[in-house]
Amino acid sequence: MEPGEGEEQEGTVEDAGAGLSAFAEALAATVGATSWSADHGIARLVVERDKWVSTAAKVRDEGMPFFSWLSAVDWSRDVEVGEQVEAPDDLDERFEVICRLSSVKTADAVHLVTELPKDDAQVPSLVGEFGGAEWHEREAAEMFGIDFPGNPVAKKHLYLPDSFEGNPLLKSYPLLSREVKPWPGTVDVEDMPSTENAEAAAQEASQEGEE
Amino acid sequence: MNFWLLLLIKVGLVLGVMLPGALVIIFGELKISAHMQSRIGPYFAGGRFGWAQPLADGLKFMQKEDLVPADADDRVYKLAPYVVLMGTLALFVVLPFGPETVARDLDLGIFYVLAVSSLSTLGVLMAGWSSANKYSLIGGLRAAAQLIAYELPLVLAVIGVAIMAGSLSLNDIVTAQANWQWFDTLPTWVNIIPPYMILQAVGLVIFLTASLAELSRIPFDMPIAESELTMGYLTEYSGLRFTMFFLGEYAGMVAMAAVAATLFLGGYWLPFVSDDVLNFVGPVVLLTKVMLIAFVFIWLRWTFPRLREDQLQTIAWKWLIPAGLANIVLTGFFKVVF
Amino acid sequence: MTQLDPRAAMHLSDAAVSVEIETPDMTLNIGPQHPSTHGVLRLVAKVDGERISSVDPVIGYMHRGYEKLAEVRTYAQITALVNRIDWVSGFANEIPFIAAIERLMDLEVPERAQYIRLILTEMARISSHLVFMSSYPLELGAATPLMHALREREHVLELLESVTGGRFHPNFNRVGGVKPAAGGGSTMKKQSQDLPAGFLAATRDAMDSVLAICDDLDRLVTGNELFHARTIGVGVIPTAKALEYGLSGPNLRASGVKFDLRKVENILPYDGIDFEIPIGQNGDCFDRYFVRNEEIRQACRIIQQAIDKIPSGPLQAKVPRILKVPKGETYVRAENPKGEMGYHVISEGGRIPYRVKIRSASFSNLSILPWILEGELVPDMVAIMGSLDFVLGDVDR
Repeated sequence: MEPGEGEEQEGTVEDAGAGLSAFAEALAATVGATSWSADHGIARLVVERDKWVSTAAKVRDEGMPFFSWLSAVDWSRDVEVGEQVEAPDDLDERFEVICRLSSVKTADAVHLVTELPKDDAQVPSLVGEFGGAEWHEREAAEMFGIDFPGNPVAKKHLYLPDSFEGNPLLKSYPLLSREVKPWPGTVDVEDMPSTENAEAAAQEASQEGEE
Repeated sequence: MNFWLLLLIKVGLVLGVMLPGALVIIFGELKISAHMQSRIGPYFAGGRFGWAQPLADGLKFMQKEDLVPADADDRVYKLAPYVVLMGTLALFVVLPFGPETVARDLDLGIFYVLAVSSLSTLGVLMAGWSSANKYSLIGGLRAAAQLIAYELPLVLAVIGVAIMAGSLSLNDIVTAQANWQWFDTLPTWVNIIPPYMILQAVGLVIFLTASLAELSRIPFDMPIAESELTMGYLTEYSGLRFTMFFLGEYAGMVAMAAVAATLFLGGYWLPFVSDDVLNFVGPVVLLTKVMLIAFVFIWLRWTFPRLREDQLQTIAWKWLIPAGLANIVLTGFFKVVF
Repeated sequence: MTQLDPRAAMHLSDAAVSVEIETPDMTLNIGPQHPSTHGVLRLVAKVDGERISSVDPVIGYMHRGYEKLAEVRTYAQITALVNRIDWVSGFANEIPFIAAIERLMDLEVPERAQYIRLILTEMARISSHLVFMSSYPLELGAATPLMHALREREHVLELLESVTGGRFHPNFNRVGGVKPAAGGGSTMKKQSQDLPAGFLAATRDAMDSVLAICDDLDRLVTGNELFHARTIGVGVIPTAKALEYGLSGPNLRASGVKFDLRKVENILPYDGIDFEIPIGQNGDCFDRYFVRNEEIRQACRIIQQAIDKIPSGPLQAKVPRILKVPKGETYVRAENPKGEMGYHVISEGGRIPYRVKIRSASFSNLSILPWILEGELVPDMVAIMGSLDFVLGDVDR
């Protein structure tokens, strides 16, 4: 499972990674992204909010017309359940809206990312360019509370009941059923074994493999 | 004989043929479809071969709760299943089971058959309207649209037979087929072939196609169409009323198959058998032919998908009606020439 | 009192007749419990007679919040969840998720495990497509193909069960390989560490009978004139629309796009295997049916070749007992029977992911419904929805 192997014909990891980087860099220059990165097989272009729609259209014209998905990530210090970010104090709290466009001839694909401040979470809708964005934006809107001006039905709940309040995928949103009764698995999660134990277990596992 | 006694016997006879006939076809459908689908089908009810399955189903339906939707037009809703069943039952009045075994030999036999058979569609429309359910309503309207489409081909198909036999009475039509003589140059065994099956083959095909539409059976079961309209006009029915529709469907199959057998396959007639014997053997002969036609209906049902309403109209108006008209012209032409 | 001229009255009545009657559209609520909605999809349709003027799909009756649940589960626990996304092909759902973890951890999976994954994925594809082969004619009113196709699917599921222990939810993949085959229990060391005896030969036989049922279905359905009448030219999706709405898998290929993730993604060893990508010409319901029919044959070919090529060796890479995924972010997609299935996994370095975005094929495939159903007839609605081949669990997640 070498990163980027799918994207490139070349054999070695380094070559594949380099190929992906070159691809991301060239594309970033063409469509005017503010920054780019290529890691673990995905090319990531960060674009400004104002250029969100126009960049997506440009990427489509660059030979990636397939609208794969659109979603968001909530980077937050206030985590009710689940994993905390590694260094919460340094974290720049924000939403990342990710839109993946890909080619249907080659393995080329790109993640367009725009960062939204928490207090002004809105980004223009892609519905005009990609009809399929409607449902994806509705999903992101109800799950994260992000506003998509231009999407005619962005405010209408897609999954949740109409009377539902809150945005469940926010990190600050508690999973109520877990508050009432802890999932048996959480015991497993919270009681982190010490590093020595983990290494010992790893050794044991490798010995078993040798048998 | 006393009129009332005779009436009672005749009603008993009609019911005695129709109900077991319908049950046998229901059982046949269960078993034949099972074997077509590499299943076994009913197996336990009744001890052997699951022969009592239709009866058991009927008993089960009777025990079900009889639901009437709150918004339903109560009286129409309750009347509809019986209208459907009556329309079918009334057909048996003129069907000849033997030279003299006939409830009432009307001179306008075919006319009566065609008129009464469309009565059950009225019941379907009533059911669709009164259920206060949109699916039922669409189903009922589809049935009405279907009636208009198939009724004309049905009539046109029959006219050919009427021209050849020179009569509208069903008994006379059977007699005409029995007395038919093929050319002398052919060996005598060809006389066992029912003549109208060959000479009116076009009419037979049109008649069977149109009766499939009348019976709302696949490929023309759009009024029910369970994948589109859940169960069409039957959606709200349950219990005994549903049983009546169910029975009406299969009794309708017996009736339409019997009409087709009488018109095109020689009805109760068996070659080289005298009329006295036919009075007793006739019903068996007729029912055998009915079962053959019913088998074709079942076979088609488990083979084909369903058509669309507009496609049915296309078939009826663009193919069946012109073919029926051409058949009439040709039949009339040969009737005059020979 | 003036006497009304009879001729004027006649004209009046003529005028009354020739005025077009304004009929308001009827709102027809299809679902959530309806035979053709495959579960709990609800369509609020405005119909004018039988013609649909607009339709508003209501989904979410089966929303289980897997993306939130994934944030409180360990990676190993999440594989049990993702099984249940598209329950008709549970095995195929696991592959991209496991592959995403393996990519983040930079793990090399033993080749034998990869081939086992490949064979079982293709089996899941066959079983999923056979469900389509059975349910699609049923929606058009033909009940017989159902039984024949499901009978063959049962053979395939039995084989899947003999390896994984589960018919629908195998939960068989482990990070770095596959679970040792079924039959063990808690005494890990005693159980067989490989495929059950005779599995490969039985699979070969099963593939022959699946190919035979494909031929049967061809005779019963594919060449049936009434089936043609219902499907050819119905529900045409042009290529541009298909791409815009993110249709993937057989639905995209039916619209004429020769693209299969099995050819471009490298998470399973498809590169050494020879198979065709069937595509359609018109993008109508018949093409979508036909592409799936052909894909079953290709899947059989793939499995037969994989059986020839499967090497011997270990089933598991060396993986630490306590699975910690390094910090990083990746997206791995695979060709699920329904289309592109992918997981966008963000790890912050711990034992549970920070965020998992599940890209399921049916969600995008279904999102085209309002566009494609506008102006269609109610019977065609059933034909079109059936041909998109969605599973509600895959839509709602």
